[in-house]
Amino acid sequence: MAGSGDHKDGVREEFLAEAQEIIESLSRDLLVLDQGQKEGRVDPDLINEVFRGVHTLKGIAGMFGYHQLGALAHALEDLLDDLRLGRVDVSPEVLDVLFEGVENFQRLLGEETETEGTVNLDAYAASIERVSGGQARQEPEDPLAAYDLDPSVLSVLTEYEEHRLRTNVVQGVTLFRLRVRFSLTSIDSSLEDLKSRTKGIAEIITYLPSMEGGEGDFIDLDVLMASRVSLDELREAIADDDAQLSEVRRKQDAKTPVPPAPEPKSERRSAGSLLVEEEPLDEQVVVPGPPRKPGGTGTDQGRDMSADQLSLRSVANTVRVDIGKLDHLMNVVGELAIVRSAVARLTEKIRGRPELRQLAIELHRVNRGFERHLEELQDGILDVRMVPLGQVFDKLARIVRQVAREHGKEVRLVVTGAETEVDKLIVEELSDPLMHIIRNAIDHGLEAPKVRELAGKAPVGTLALNAYQKRNHVLIEVEDDGAGMNEQVLREVAVKKGLMTREASEELSREEAFNLIFMAGFSTRTSITDLSGRGVGMDVVKTNIARLGGVIDVQSEVGIGTKFTITLPVTLAIISALLVRIRDRHFAVPITSVQEAIMLDPSAVRTVEGREVLTLRGATLPLCRLDQLFGLHLLPIPPDPKQYIVVSSVGHRRMGFVVDGLHGQQDIVIKSLGSSLTDVRGFAGATDLGDQRVALVLDAPGLLEEMLSSGEFSVAPGLRS
Amino acid sequence: MRHKTVIPAAAPSEPGLARREEPVREFLAFSMATESYALPLGAIREILKPPPITEVPRAPRDVLGIISVRGRITTVVDLRRRLRLAECTPDKHTRVLLVDSGSEIMGLLVDRVMQVYRLAEDEIELAAVVAGDMSEYFLGIGRPRAGKLGRDRDETREELLILLNPVPLLRR
Repeated sequence: MAGSGDHKDGVREEFLAEAQEIIESLSRDLLVLDQGQKEGRVDPDLINEVFRGVHTLKGIAGMFGYHQLGALAHALEDLLDDLRLGRVDVSPEVLDVLFEGVENFQRLLGEETETEGTVNLDAYAASIERVSGGQARQEPEDPLAAYDLDPSVLSVLTEYEEHRLRTNVVQGVTLFRLRVRFSLTSIDSSLEDLKSRTKGIAEIITYLPSMEGGEGDFIDLDVLMASRVSLDELREAIADDDAQLSEVRRKQDAKTPVPPAPEPKSERRSAGSLLVEEEPLDEQVVVPGPPRKPGGTGTDQGRDMSADQLSLRSVANTVRVDIGKLDHLMNVVGELAIVRSAVARLTEKIRGRPELRQLAIELHRVNRGFERHLEELQDGILDVRMVPLGQVFDKLARIVRQVAREHGKEVRLVVTGAETEVDKLIVEELSDPLMHIIRNAIDHGLEAPKVRELAGKAPVGTLALNAYQKRNHVLIEVEDDGAGMNEQVLREVAVKKGLMTREASEELSREEAFNLIFMAGFSTRTSITDLSGRGVGMDVVKTNIARLGGVIDVQSEVGIGTKFTITLPVTLAIISALLVRIRDRHFAVPITSVQEAIMLDPSAVRTVEGREVLTLRGATLPLCRLDQLFGLHLLPIPPDPKQYIVVSSVGHRRMGFVVDGLHGQQDIVIKSLGSSLTDVRGFAGATDLGDQRVALVLDAPGLLEEMLSSGEFSVAPGLRS
Repeated sequence: MRHKTVIPAAAPSEPGLARREEPVREFLAFSMATESYALPLGAIREILKPPPITEVPRAPRDVLGIISVRGRITTVVDLRRRLRLAECTPDKHTRVLLVDSGSEIMGLLVDRVMQVYRLAEDEIELAAVVAGDMSEYFLGIGRPRAGKLGRDRDETREELLILLNPVPLLRR
């Protein structure tokens, strides 16, 4: 089959996947940092995380020959280094540059799969320069000098640690010294433990093996910490009875005995490389350091004593899987399902022979077991394809921030239901439509802060993203508390753009008026471009969602806000379908689109405004004769045929599809049609029915849209000839 | 197996003439109506006896429909219609060529598969002017000196092969 399966390509895929992960993680961290900066607290660990992420990216980019990416990473790495060492302050401008950096990474990743060098980063490079230069803080008189710290200790701190120490001192944070004893075999986890116990109330600046060494399999460490809480609180948090905690005092207090942790005075007197008054050090503090993390990111010092260095990256219990492999597995499962049906048929045949009856019964039982396990396998694979919507929501959070700044709006994004799972392929296709809806919401929907205030609203607008599952569908809502849409204006625009007559526009219901925005050619903007320069309109959004088997609805209230609701099927892969027949052709209709199937009573059909309709339980059901739509109506039909109606509903719209026969329900694997057939409307794919027969799978939502939105049917050539 | 499939040996994975500069190129020749056509061997994945083809309503006229090849749904194009040749009924020689269009594998219905030709550079005349809007389909003309692969070099019978370009040919 197509695809080179080159080793080189496989290696490049690895790089792309890893780079993508790093970028996503950077994005998340930056968002948290941004939030923190707004609230006035910046987490130094986070800056360090971002630094390391960019550093790793630089490394792998260089390794795989993505030089432009590597150069960009290098420039950002320098900026981040400045940030973490305090040479540059974390300001909104700097954050903007960082966000733009991530965007540029994304672009470079995207385009380097094709050609290189089409992304121009000169302007961006200048902005990095601008924020990093000219912001050097002048060094105040060194506050550390006032503290009781051995200068030789200070000399072994890395520049980063020294900076952290200084920062804490300047901020008046109390320094503590903790002596702990760890088993040599579990230093890493013990340190992690300590870190997690004190996270949030204390910062670990550095740790050194104590002068006393340790005994046997144990090692004593002196940990230098900074914390705003009291000694007792800190001791409680550390929760280690063998540990000794004391405060590092200023020099003038040195003569006052430090309140000890429960330990004999004699021990404390001989302790420690950190308290200068106790004993002068005759030798340099030897700091071989804890074992360096293999492959750890080096710093500019070449020897990193930071506590962070020992912290192990949490090993995620996940595996990255190529979706092509999942597709293949799905195919195999599909084939197995066909085999299972064949076995069932054979079993029936055998059962008909009295002499083989016993055998048939056994076979039947075995087949049932097979069926059960097959179903489990099927469910399992389907489950693997499911990913949480949070994946796409994260990306959108970044967009929200950017667009808000671009348009001078203040937006608060509220996300719920990010854990709702949807097929991976659907998630991929959703990001563009959602992005477009959000852009619209921020640009057109939400008003500028001053306007909002005048209207009595809070200046910060709210954009809510909500996802939840309802039976076989997933619903995604995008709601804003902005200006809402005026249905009168929409009607006017439709008429002005020649999309309908004035009379027609007046006859539209409120809901239909709002749905005008999805009509091709409706867009009120003359040139719409998204990040990649493509022109996008709401009609494209609707088409894209329809292609996934979903629909989009919109509700709005002037002055209050607008809400878009996207309804999607949970998965595209194996589904239960109703087999129908039109003349001698078989088609499959996904069960999720079938509300009911009834027999057609020709005498009950009425014609209203040129369209055939039926009254079903008091409501009008428009009909669609598929034989005509598909150009099959000229094929022979038995005299006085029985016909059936498959009632399909999506959202609160319904339609009855007229077919010639119903042939039961079956599990099928929907496979996509090739790209050469994407223009053909009405089909969600095709499926193997077994013994070489292929049936097309109807895209009921798509057909519904087509029938209800167009005044006329787009008929197949058969009708004309 | 239901249908006999033949997989051309030594098929390199690049369709199209433009990307390679080798002195000898291999082409698979087949007949349509009274003419002989050929596609670069590298673009051809398989040759199948035509399985039942499922029509796709409202698809373009030259798309015959879809088939399933080992689980993969494949679009089949009627080469006669695409090249605007006269219609004729399929017979037992009709075959489906699975061709790599660059973006997907598609099927091409042809009248009769002939043989593989190796054409030297001087046996290929690149398309200069071919009238009409289908010019991009044509790579050129092949004039193999030999009737069979390398043998019978004395035979003066001239074969004319219309060389087709698979990527534009299969692109919608």
